[in-house]
Amino acid sequence: MTVTYRIASMKKILILFLLLAGVMPGFAQRSYKLGEVVVRAKRPMKEIGVTKTTFDSAMLKENIALSMADILAFNSSIFVKSYGRATLSTVAFRGTSPSHTQVTWNGMRINNPMLGMTDFSTIPSYFIDQASLLHGTSSVNETGGGLGGLVKLATEPDTPEGFNVQYVQGIGSFSTFDEFARLTYGSDKWHVSTRAVHSSSPNDYKYINHDKKVNIYDDDHNIIGQYHPKERNRSGAFRDTHILQEVYYNTLKGDRLGLNAWYIDSNRELPMLTTDYGNEADFENRQREQTFRSVLSWDHTRSKWKAGLKGGYIHTWMAYDYRREVSEGNWASMTRSRSKVNTIYGQAEGEYTPSRKWFFTANLSAHQHFVRSQDKNIILQDGDKAIVGYDKGRIELSGSASAKWQPIDRLGMSVVVREEMFGTDWSPLIPAFFIDGVVLPEGNVTLKASISRNYRVPTLNDLYFLPGGNPDLRNEHGFTYDLGASFEVGKKEVYSLSGSVTWFDSRIDDWIIWLPTTKGFFSPRNVKEVHAYGVEVTGNLGVQPFKGWFLDLNGSYSWTPSINEGEKMSPADQSVGKQLPYVPKHSASLTGRLSWRSWGFLYKWCWYSERFTMSSNDYTLTGHLPQYFMSNISLEKGLSFKPVDLSLKLAVNNLFNEDYLSVLSRPMPGINFEFFIGITPKFNRKK
Amino acid sequence: MKSMLKPFTIFILILSSLTLGGCMEWDYGETEDFDVTGSGLFITNEGNFQYGNATLSYYDPATNTVQNEVFFRANGMKLGDVAQSMSIYDNKGWIVVNNSHVIFAIDLNTFKEIGRIENLTSPRYIHFLSDEKAYVTQLWDNRIFIVNPKKYEITGYITVPDMTMESGSTEQMVQYGKYVYCNCWSYQNRIIKIDTETDQVVDQLTVGIQPTSLVLDRYDKMWTVTDGGYEGSPYGHEAPSLYRIDAATFTIEKQFKFKFGDWPSEVQLNGTGDTLYWINNDIWRMDVTAERLPVRPFLEYRDTKYYGLTVNPFNGEVYVADAIDYQQQGMIYRYSPQGELIDEFYVGITPGAFCWK
Repeated sequence: MTVTYRIASMKKILILFLLLAGVMPGFAQRSYKLGEVVVRAKRPMKEIGVTKTTFDSAMLKENIALSMADILAFNSSIFVKSYGRATLSTVAFRGTSPSHTQVTWNGMRINNPMLGMTDFSTIPSYFIDQASLLHGTSSVNETGGGLGGLVKLATEPDTPEGFNVQYVQGIGSFSTFDEFARLTYGSDKWHVSTRAVHSSSPNDYKYINHDKKVNIYDDDHNIIGQYHPKERNRSGAFRDTHILQEVYYNTLKGDRLGLNAWYIDSNRELPMLTTDYGNEADFENRQREQTFRSVLSWDHTRSKWKAGLKGGYIHTWMAYDYRREVSEGNWASMTRSRSKVNTIYGQAEGEYTPSRKWFFTANLSAHQHFVRSQDKNIILQDGDKAIVGYDKGRIELSGSASAKWQPIDRLGMSVVVREEMFGTDWSPLIPAFFIDGVVLPEGNVTLKASISRNYRVPTLNDLYFLPGGNPDLRNEHGFTYDLGASFEVGKKEVYSLSGSVTWFDSRIDDWIIWLPTTKGFFSPRNVKEVHAYGVEVTGNLGVQPFKGWFLDLNGSYSWTPSINEGEKMSPADQSVGKQLPYVPKHSASLTGRLSWRSWGFLYKWCWYSERFTMSSNDYTLTGHLPQYFMSNISLEKGLSFKPVDLSLKLAVNNLFNEDYLSVLSRPMPGINFEFFIGITPKFNRKK
Repeated sequence: MKSMLKPFTIFILILSSLTLGGCMEWDYGETEDFDVTGSGLFITNEGNFQYGNATLSYYDPATNTVQNEVFFRANGMKLGDVAQSMSIYDNKGWIVVNNSHVIFAIDLNTFKEIGRIENLTSPRYIHFLSDEKAYVTQLWDNRIFIVNPKKYEITGYITVPDMTMESGSTEQMVQYGKYVYCNCWSYQNRIIKIDTETDQVVDQLTVGIQPTSLVLDRYDKMWTVTDGGYEGSPYGHEAPSLYRIDAATFTIEKQFKFKFGDWPSEVQLNGTGDTLYWINNDIWRMDVTAERLPVRPFLEYRDTKYYGLTVNPFNGEVYVADAIDYQQQGMIYRYSPQGELIDEFYVGITPGAFCWK
């Protein structure tokens, strides 16, 4: 009974969510309705006190050229540090470093065990069906180590009946080509889906190089003039292919089996700096990656309990080559590094709902990593050859148990206890406590609070990289608390409005950073105590201003001071009490969707305040990144013909042709365009 | 249809207004006119690798004044990525910018660019043989580049034997007669001898693991210090040493051993070439005729990592660079020959090398 009630409540939310979702891809004729905002006194017990941002399918399936880095940048207030398309894109969640954001895909952690971070540019958004952010403490429900939070990504077995095909082609500025194809089969018991994305571009956009000047000489080699050249992005080409295969089998008796397998083949050049005076044709700077990720899952659902088992495997091969042509056709390696990571993953989880008031979960996961990192080929003193690198394995266990209690419908409490083991070291207990309550049922005004301790262990590179790896590093650790309020109001077929505000405060001790040594290499040390705090605000408005029209506005804003409160490193140190480099204090994003019949218009906007490049927050001429605003738009038209549905879309990025930088010496492209055509044959559909 | 378009237009107008005023402000194009006179000290600040934020500072010891970012201010463009070293020749300053693959020549008084040598592999140091010939050492290359400073051109290469591009490392150079000696540092253990008439490596001398610097004293003795490698290195890890090498016979005369785990670096000479200085946590000083390492440092460790060191060739004052956390303006401490602090001033990020005018 209780479960049915919960499911019914979930369903209502889901319907509302889908209705608000707006533009669904691949369907030419759409209709939009604003549902009634239900008074949800009984909230999902799983999410008691949780601060969560959910990305709907309209955000994820906006266009095939986007990666999760773009989705996060424009639909949340997370700071994405990137220097253009198909380049390393990392995040600063709540003012923390990229490795403080944990990332799971269908339950399996996909952070690179060598680096700790995740490159969001290698995750095509069209491959993700469900994405959400669990902010700060809320991540403890799912994993440890998320000092900033967790980005939770998943695919889902939601395929329409019968055979279906969808194909999208994108052609854009700088000879960029994107292709997406999806084949699905759905029946009562089976859901099968195959998706593929292929993207390629020389990515040689033009920009004014403000960092360099070209000299004009007279006959005696005297400089008689100088100017900032208009250059092309040099060495920026990419060619990425992704394939995702999924098979789900549902017994319809409470069991579901699933297989997800994702293969990535990425070949990317690393763009030259604006201050590089090398000849592009003489140098090659390339990174290649082949990754295979797979998860096998079994879910067993009964009226009062649920159990799940997962097994997974990740293989990653990465190659970095820096080469120079020494004579015609003869290329010599300056750096040739190779790394292989194999990860075996297993997880068991259970949920139990003994009564309407109680809900229990337990979860145990294991990730066994095997890493072989080969970084440099050298000649030994005796003339033999050797490779500088390391070969290490590490097992990571994480177990949690939680009890959630709703003594009355309007009040919920949750306790989570997590314990982790990395290698042979057990982390101290990670406790988290959550509470929430509906204070005003009329507007669904809810207050929530949570507190947790958290740890992050050093990455394998932190410990073992040669040269510099430091096996004596301590875990980063900290306390975080959240306080928040949210509301939700609306009127059927007129509007819906929701919003939330969250205060968070966390202290992270023994923050690990890599510092140069006098021997010419970097080495990590536990040096900083960081106080990261601030406010996150979100708002959503859905309006039907006129019949047939639908407007959806989504906004977010974050104020994230992230202050170094460590000890001075020397008497001259000016960094104590200052904002961490590359973490903006303010960030905001806004997306507006307007649709009318088969037309859809989207406006995306984001803003990042200035980022300091120096720990002392100095304003130097050569080290300051001013604030920037970015605006992208797209216009879409769906056409329906008897044999096929067509979708035409024009996307305009950097609408106001801003000349901007996200990272020093890495110019971003100016205004650019991409045209998409989506084809969905209706060969199997009875209409 | 008309009524439909109206709200659409309003919507666009509202959204458009949100973006107004959203332009990134650029500080560029403007240049400053400098005209410094007399003796002074250039400090090359490496900046952070891949950030392109290397800078040049200029300090006037007579007035105790420092000017930072002088290359940018004089030229309206960045110095580049990782400024490694600077030398003076032909009344020009030659700044080697490692990861920008370039060497800039600047006017010593106005700091304005005079010319540039481009497309080097990973330049470290430049050594001048004549107005029309200089050697440029490299990291990640098994060749020393021969350049023509007058024409700003690469004219040839000296291939170093038993070295691949990937393990390539040639560093500091000193000249003795027609020979140039050069220490090979990263995953290397030798000093090479180059005949400047034939541009060939004619001899080499094995020292300890990873000799980092090389100087020539007034008695024609070369000094190099090794860093001993690092823990876990397949190349080996040993106690570092200071070596005295006779330039004429190209043989090791004396090896001064440090403790295992010490990290000596930055061997420097005073102007008269009779006193040696280096960093080993503290700042150390020793007479070049000494037969034992000193027991007490010249300047004690000050809770930081000393990164650069130089001695004023005119008066023996010692300048020490503190890179702090390598992500903020570094500090230079100026000491009298007796070790008293005279001045301290902030420069750029990671001050690594000095050049006396």
